[in-house]
Amino acid sequence: MLMPKKVKYRKQQRGRMAGKAWRGSELAFGDFGLKVLEPGWITDRQIEASRVAMTRFIKRGGKIWLRLFPDKPVTKKPAETRMGKGKGAPDHWVAVVRPGKILFEMEGVTPQDAAEALRLASHKLPLRTMLVKREGLH
Amino acid sequence: MATVTESNVLEAQPRTPGNKNEARRVRRGGKLPGVLYGAGKEALSLTLDPRQVTRILHSATGHNTIFDLALNGERTKAMIVDWQYEPIKGALLHIDLKRIAMDQKLKVNVPIMLKGEAAGVKQQGGILEQVLREVEVECLPGDIPNSIDADVSDLVFGKVLRVADLPHSDKLKFLTDPDQTVAHITTVKEEEVATPEVAAAEAAAAPTEPEVIKKGKQEAEEEGAEPASEKPEKPEKKEKK
Repeated sequence: MLMPKKVKYRKQQRGRMAGKAWRGSELAFGDFGLKVLEPGWITDRQIEASRVAMTRFIKRGGKIWLRLFPDKPVTKKPAETRMGKGKGAPDHWVAVVRPGKILFEMEGVTPQDAAEALRLASHKLPLRTMLVKREGLH
Repeated sequence: MATVTESNVLEAQPRTPGNKNEARRVRRGGKLPGVLYGAGKEALSLTLDPRQVTRILHSATGHNTIFDLALNGERTKAMIVDWQYEPIKGALLHIDLKRIAMDQKLKVNVPIMLKGEAAGVKQQGGILEQVLREVEVECLPGDIPNSIDADVSDLVFGKVLRVADLPHSDKLKFLTDPDQTVAHITTVKEEEVATPEVAAAEAAAAPTEPEVIKKGKQEAEEEGAEPASEKPEKPEKKEKK
């Protein structure tokens, strides 16, 4: 699973996800992309599941870029534990996304294949998404 | 190469420059806030029709279109130099217009269009990756091309199309680094479906937690402090005795 190699602190507070993704909201590498329409957390497992769904569908046909990285640790207390006694242990990693963020990009595939691959990827995610194409593509 | 000068007219109304609240009021009224500058004159805040601007941006000449800006009964040659989209719905938020002197050279970004089917894709099964989509050129406003067409039909594995390989003309001066890659043929390995045993072994071998960066000062202090702390402990014990 994706996670940082080094971190400054093991645990983080939850934070807020106000506003829109003013950065990373336009296609930078590929011709097709998947844009998220609501704020939320996307876990390392969900990112990996989406990536696998896309790569298995397009096989060797195209190139994929991941535009998000799970760099926020999420902690969890063990089951049947009383409240208190400090924050739980790090459990998994999430990427914080805000509406407008491009999650994945794709190139070297037909528009139909790109749409299907990104649709399959979107089904692995907990948030609403939309397909975006580069201007000038038909 | 077709030139981009078109007999378009973009109508604009002056507005009093203000903060974002005023810009929002303009947008709520169905208009688009913008600014006009260049040619050594003062910058002017404008209100424009977003449909006219979108028509220019989506035209064949795109953002390099030179049009007449009708403002206060006067017409000025201008072009769009910057524009901002809202990230979710993609509506235009603001545009920057620049006054153009038709006899002075200017720097513009021209899109690169790849033509033909690459041999590396057709025969070798690779993927054509376009790394650079726009190239910066210097030319007269009347000589700005719609696009720079690059033939990629001879492109195979190991061969790279660079800015220097793009069709040059006397009217255009390329400002982008000539060694910069425009397109190349790449390949992607098909992912092998890992068996559950292999996947489990990989998961076990992978680190569960990342390394925590310690502060440099603390490390130095700890190293220096350890031997020092041991020494004073002994005399303390002796004192007690």
